[in-house]
Amino acid sequence: HPALSRRYVLCEVVSEDPRCRQCIEDRALGLAVRDAIARVHGDYGLACCSISFTGAGETGGPGGAGSLQVRSAVRVSLVVKYLNAYTGTVLLRCRKDSYRLLCSALPFVRSLESRAQRYPCFLNTLHVGGTIRTCQKFLIQYNTTQLLRLLQNCTNEEERQCIQKSLLSCSLTEEQSQSGDEEEDDGTE
Amino acid sequence: RGPAGRGMAAAAFERRVLRRAAEHHYLRVRLELPDGGARPNAAQFKQLVVTALRELHGEVGAALPVDVLTYEEKTLSAILRVISSGFVKLWSALTLLGFYQNRRCAFRVLQTSPFLLALCGNSRELVLD
Repeated sequence: HPALSRRYVLCEVVSEDPRCRQCIEDRALGLAVRDAIARVHGDYGLACCSISFTGAGETGGPGGAGSLQVRSAVRVSLVVKYLNAYTGTVLLRCRKDSYRLLCSALPFVRSLESRAQRYPCFLNTLHVGGTIRTCQKFLIQYNTTQLLRLLQNCTNEEERQCIQKSLLSCSLTEEQSQSGDEEEDDGTE
Repeated sequence: RGPAGRGMAAAAFERRVLRRAAEHHYLRVRLELPDGGARPNAAQFKQLVVTALRELHGEVGAALPVDVLTYEEKTLSAILRVISSGFVKLWSALTLLGFYQNRRCAFRVLQTSPFLLALCGNSRELVLD
């Protein structure tokens, strides 16, 4: 269906401050990305994110007299589809026409803010795919290589044992709804 | 291209067509300030153009290489030069600019061309007697 083409951008949030983890939530991240796009691409970029998929652009502007809108823009094209606060993985969705705007604005996200706390961070773009499935396949492969790299960078024996145990114990099980890559969490922290 | 040369002699002429090869585009614009207030000087005019780009196209737009080649303060008309890839951004930003120092204003684009020489004559202003 050519009219509904989307692009999914997979990125990870990297921060030196461990408290930034708690800021990784969809609203804070969505606002930070939108803000970066507004700074870098102006009103045109912001409109490209707010346009809905049905074709008729819905803007979150003030409605006519007497209409009270609970949420400003119900359907927007820029959406945070998946978040993992432990690994800092974020999956963003956007229209195919404007994914270059999004990708070029991601390096300008410098901090995340939530509950009146702001922590510096940056976003690393890992993969751009056309469907969620391709991004998931990439993420599985990426996570396995990252775990192996963490194993090599272990400083003491205890961490090494911990990671080895978790590597050997994880598996893809059919009955769980989530696939295996989300069950692995870092042995080091 | 010359004749296909199936058994003919070497081509007598050669034609080359270059599409969109111009590096810069030139625009002749005029700023309309209906209230008779202070007129911007050349630096303020350029600042206005860059501000218009920044509002519509953000930092990327404001970083476009735009030059004000000539500026007449009396008539508020100028010739702008912009790199060809930023032509659409510049024209759209000029179109959507509404205010200069909280005063109503509007940009009128009179002529555009990839060649500067083409801006010297304007057939629209020709008076036919």
